[in-house]
Amino acid sequence: MTIRYLKKHAALEGIVGVDDAEALTQWLLQQGEPAVHLGKCDHLHGAVLQVLLALRPKVTVPPADLLLASVLSAHV
Amino acid sequence: MNQTDLLEQFVIEARECLEAIGTRLLDVERDPTNLELLNDLFRSVHTLKGNCGLFEFKPLERVVHAGEDLLDRVRNRTLDYSSALADALLDAMDYSAQLIDQIERSGHIEAGAEGRSIEHATALRSLLGGATMPAVERGALAVAESGMTHAPAPPPDWLGHVDQAVLAAHPGSLALRYLPEEGCFFKGEDPWRLASTAPGVQALHVGGRQPWPDANARTGWDCYQCNLDVVIVSSASRSELELHFRCVPEQVTFHVLAAVPVALKPLGPGETVMRLRAATLWAEQCALLARSGLNGGTVLAARRTLSRLTVSMDDAAQVAALAELDTVPESAAALLAWARQHRPAGSTPARGSAAVPATRSADDGSVTEPPVRADDGMAAQSHKVLKVSQEKIDRLMDLIGEMVVAKNSLPYLAQRAEEVFHQRELAREIKAQYAVINRIAEDMQHAVMQVRMLPVGAVFQRFGRLVRDISRKLGKDVQLVLEGEDTEADKNVIEPLADPLIHVLRNSLDHGIELPEVRRAAGKPAMGTIRIRAAQESDRVIIEIVDDGAGVDPARVRAKAVERGLIPADRAALLSDNEAVQLIFLPGFSTAEAISDLSGRGVGMDVVRTAIERINGGVELGSVLGKGTTLRLSLPLSMAVTHVMVIESAGRRLGVPMDLIVETVRVHTDDVHHFKQARTTVLRGRIVPLRALNELLALDAEPQCNEQGELAVLVVRIGNQNVGLLVDHFHGASDIILKPLEGVLAGLVGFAGTALMGDGGVLMVLNPKELLT
Repeated sequence: MTIRYLKKHAALEGIVGVDDAEALTQWLLQQGEPAVHLGKCDHLHGAVLQVLLALRPKVTVPPADLLLASVLSAHV
Repeated sequence: MNQTDLLEQFVIEARECLEAIGTRLLDVERDPTNLELLNDLFRSVHTLKGNCGLFEFKPLERVVHAGEDLLDRVRNRTLDYSSALADALLDAMDYSAQLIDQIERSGHIEAGAEGRSIEHATALRSLLGGATMPAVERGALAVAESGMTHAPAPPPDWLGHVDQAVLAAHPGSLALRYLPEEGCFFKGEDPWRLASTAPGVQALHVGGRQPWPDANARTGWDCYQCNLDVVIVSSASRSELELHFRCVPEQVTFHVLAAVPVALKPLGPGETVMRLRAATLWAEQCALLARSGLNGGTVLAARRTLSRLTVSMDDAAQVAALAELDTVPESAAALLAWARQHRPAGSTPARGSAAVPATRSADDGSVTEPPVRADDGMAAQSHKVLKVSQEKIDRLMDLIGEMVVAKNSLPYLAQRAEEVFHQRELAREIKAQYAVINRIAEDMQHAVMQVRMLPVGAVFQRFGRLVRDISRKLGKDVQLVLEGEDTEADKNVIEPLADPLIHVLRNSLDHGIELPEVRRAAGKPAMGTIRIRAAQESDRVIIEIVDDGAGVDPARVRAKAVERGLIPADRAALLSDNEAVQLIFLPGFSTAEAISDLSGRGVGMDVVRTAIERINGGVELGSVLGKGTTLRLSLPLSMAVTHVMVIESAGRRLGVPMDLIVETVRVHTDDVHHFKQARTTVLRGRIVPLRALNELLALDAEPQCNEQGELAVLVVRIGNQNVGLLVDHFHGASDIILKPLEGVLAGLVGFAGTALMGDGGVLMVLNPKELLT
């Protein structure tokens, strides 16, 4: 389980693979104020990144990977 | 010339260029060492690029520019011409043609073009990057290479995604844009991983190629359709980056950042004013110092002003100048010299435009202007050629046609003068004048015909490409030989030829030419030949399409025709082989077992024949089984003036096209044989069926005989048969300008058109073929 869908946010942890993109999209679309926790995320698949860029959920905790954090902060 | 005219001109010229490029590409493929051909090709591409530059057609220019760079390399022998290269270039040219169509339709390029244009340009440039050259030439060219790699690329628009400050912080770095293809997620690719693990990443920007969906469009949004657009600034070398992105070279575009950032920060309004003011002050000090008889105090004041101005400039060059100022002697002349030399460079508003290209070219170190610009020389000659739109020529043609008609009324006038007014003298003078006007009108007609003449090569041009593409698709080896491309004929005759000829070529390629193995087994060279030969024979243009393929099998054609119910079996058996082969012209005929995308739908040769006959041409087919097929098209040189025979039937005057008429005879009623409703007669030992024209036209009158009891019979040739038409009177031949039936008359069957006669009457011209079949 690399994404845990919690009440307030989705926690993306470890390596998030391509298969999670669809579920994440659906979950984000259903939320009133979608938010993601990326603090424990080591790597995102490109498709998941694209979902985050497209749907712009609030990032409660930025990822440790600075490059990823900078890309997300430029957008979200 | 306003913008629309300019655009029209551009479209016309661009089309010409593309056509020339298409032909030349194929020529070069055949003979890649011919430098002249290459130069010619390059020139065409270069002209096209130049034309694009006049307008804001970025996507088009980008593709053409990439093509130009590629060809420049080929021309300089640093890149080998290959069929992969030709394919890429041909694809790019096809795409350019589409863009030009768009431009013609709407005056601009539609929004979606950007992405594809980049794809094409990248495809072309990737060939450029993977340039390999023969080892022998490498040494000799190393020097030349360093001077000219490729034309300096202006900062691409995608660089705008990245913060300018980041770009400025990494001078000399490589910027690259990585556009993963849409379906990349399905291929197991992870573009983000690829991008984030690239060597030497200094800055990275990820955006959407298309804007991200807004709140309404989100529900249907496909998250597996990759829309990422990654721009990376990297300190790694190009080869390292190329290695990293080796699996997706076509999705990556490189750009070298200028050592001094190309995009200068625009000067703020305040700063601009300040610099202008400084320049004015500087100029005032110079003017002051130039005056004669200055006292020491003034010089000192000027010196102080200049020094403060220099300090305020806050510029590296000016700081150095300030140090120099200390060493300048006290005299006014020396100070003036210094002031003139160190005039603040950045203070003029021209700074932005003047400074940027200079730094840019220095950084890329490779400004390549094509060394040969022969088109400049050709431009001087081009004023001798007028480009006139076809409508204008057609209008001229119509006017001359009317003039011919008007002129033809003079003989009637002469006749009236003589018969009604008994003015024989006047009638003679009118006739003399008529002869003069007649001569001039004929010359005029001839001259306009010449203008409308077009070499048949104009149509043949595109066949090279067609044959190449289809033969590849079919796995056949075929060469196309064109002969007599200079043969000229009227534009209206040449242009409708394109489609039928394409059809014929496809047939030859699909059914005619065999596969290489089959050909070898039959003792023929593996490469098939299709020859298109054009020649003029008196007033006809003959076009022959000859292939050395399998030929048409008469037995198979007979069987198929019977099977499809096109002719009865007993009649098929009676046909000679040559006659049987002609059956392929029957509507609905097809021998292909399976319907391919090339042929086999049964809309084959009958379409060709109809199209050719529409322009008063004829088709003949000759075929030797196993040896090949020859299709012979015979076309009129011009179809503007038609010779008709004027006849009368039931009190109506009608025209019959002269080329269909075999003879006019008078047959005694006793010689007409009646068999049930059919009437026949025997002419020169052959039975000729007779049909009454009145009956065909549903006129309720019997054909009239003359005093000797003879019927007027107009024998016309329909296909291979002679048919006699019973009419009332013959009136002789006439040259007319045939106008097709238009508007409400368009659907009228049995008539070819109308013509205005000299006496103002309208002549209906029959189409006996439609009337009788």
